Amino acid sequence: MSKPQEVKTPQSNVANTGKAGVRYRQEALESFYEGFKAAGIDFAVFLPDSMLDGVEQLIIERGDIAVYQCSREDEGIAMAMGAFLVGKRPVALMEGSGIGMSALILARGIVQKTPTMLIIGHNSTLGERYDYHGATRLVAEPVLRALNIPYHVLFDPGDISRVVVEAQATIEGQRLPFGILVPSHVIREIGDNR
Amino acid sequence: MNRTEVLRHIAGLRNGDPMIISPGLANYTIAEAKDEPLTIYNMDMSYTTPMALGMALGWPERRVISIEGDGAMLAGPGVLTTVARYQPKNLLIFVFDNGAYLTTGSGKAPTATAFGTDIEQLGRAAGMKNARTVHDIDAAKTAVNAAFTAPGPWLVVAKVDKQDRPAERGRHSLPMYVYEAGLIFHRAALQEQSTKK
Repeated sequence: MSKPQEVKTPQSNVANTGKAGVRYRQEALESFYEGFKAAGIDFAVFLPDSMLDGVEQLIIERGDIAVYQCSREDEGIAMAMGAFLVGKRPVALMEGSGIGMSALILARGIVQKTPTMLIIGHNSTLGERYDYHGATRLVAEPVLRALNIPYHVLFDPGDISRVVVEAQATIEGQRLPFGILVPSHVIREIGDNR
Repeated sequence: MNRTEVLRHIAGLRNGDPMIISPGLANYTIAEAKDEPLTIYNMDMSYTTPMALGMALGWPERRVISIEGDGAMLAGPGVLTTVARYQPKNLLIFVFDNGAYLTTGSGKAPTATAFGTDIEQLGRAAGMKNARTVHDIDAAKTAVNAAFTAPGPWLVVAKVDKQDRPAERGRHSLPMYVYEAGLIFHRAALQEQSTKK
């Protein structure tokens, strides 16, 4: 397999990575990683975003899940679906706007019974501060609802690992994509510059 | 150059390799040559090579083939940068460039390649070294043979004519079921992997 070395940038303190000194909740990042491992996730693809950067950098740093970076979110979802077809358990991580770009490939995945897990930052849930995320907020959940894609909005970081594991059970049992939406307070320190 | 000749040559070398095919007449030729379980027919435009890339990265022991049209490739050329980033040796991308959206309506609407856009150069600019454009059947067979034998990723752009449209249309009885494709493909891949363990 081609090694994703280019994005492998080990950090000594992942909780403090991200743009503009964003501080992530370390327990939330660890919970995602633990959930991925418990669910058997072995293939991850992402387009960088400020909300999920901590998770992405952590799984790159740990090195036991193959991680790839895409150029667009819908491309990344298609990559994840291709990995599913050859026996991987994939996850695609992105900002909510990426779901807006991905309606067609998600629909294709439903029709063709080729699912993937979706981790989605920035959405219409709690804690979105800035108006420039207005379009992002509008698009993610409506697309998931329109396609009848099951999803769960996180609230407590303590639930993350279990939600990831149960989401994967749904994905494999029903052969449907599953979205996990991540509000800001779940993954970032309260009071942080978000 | 006649597209069907090139496709039949690819089908002859394929040996059951995973393959995804963009919308268009190429689906009929491949299905007619041999309907293999590791095939996804009629992938929606711009997602053929991304899905093939995911397969190639996830199953490095297996050669993976993407069959694109020029219109489908131009709908999502950004994936070439991702292919170049990870350089999967087992990924072969064949683009059949007739300069038109041939499957649609009259088939007369041109693509950007009819105005000078060069898909090989898009690939090279993205960082793909094994990129070639071929204009006749001998050159096409040579390039395809190279792609099947030397490490990739490969991008072979075959300049083909539009004359096979009347002969290929209307073949609706071939086994190209989108609803079952994911199940059949996934089951076949898991079965092959478990047999080789």
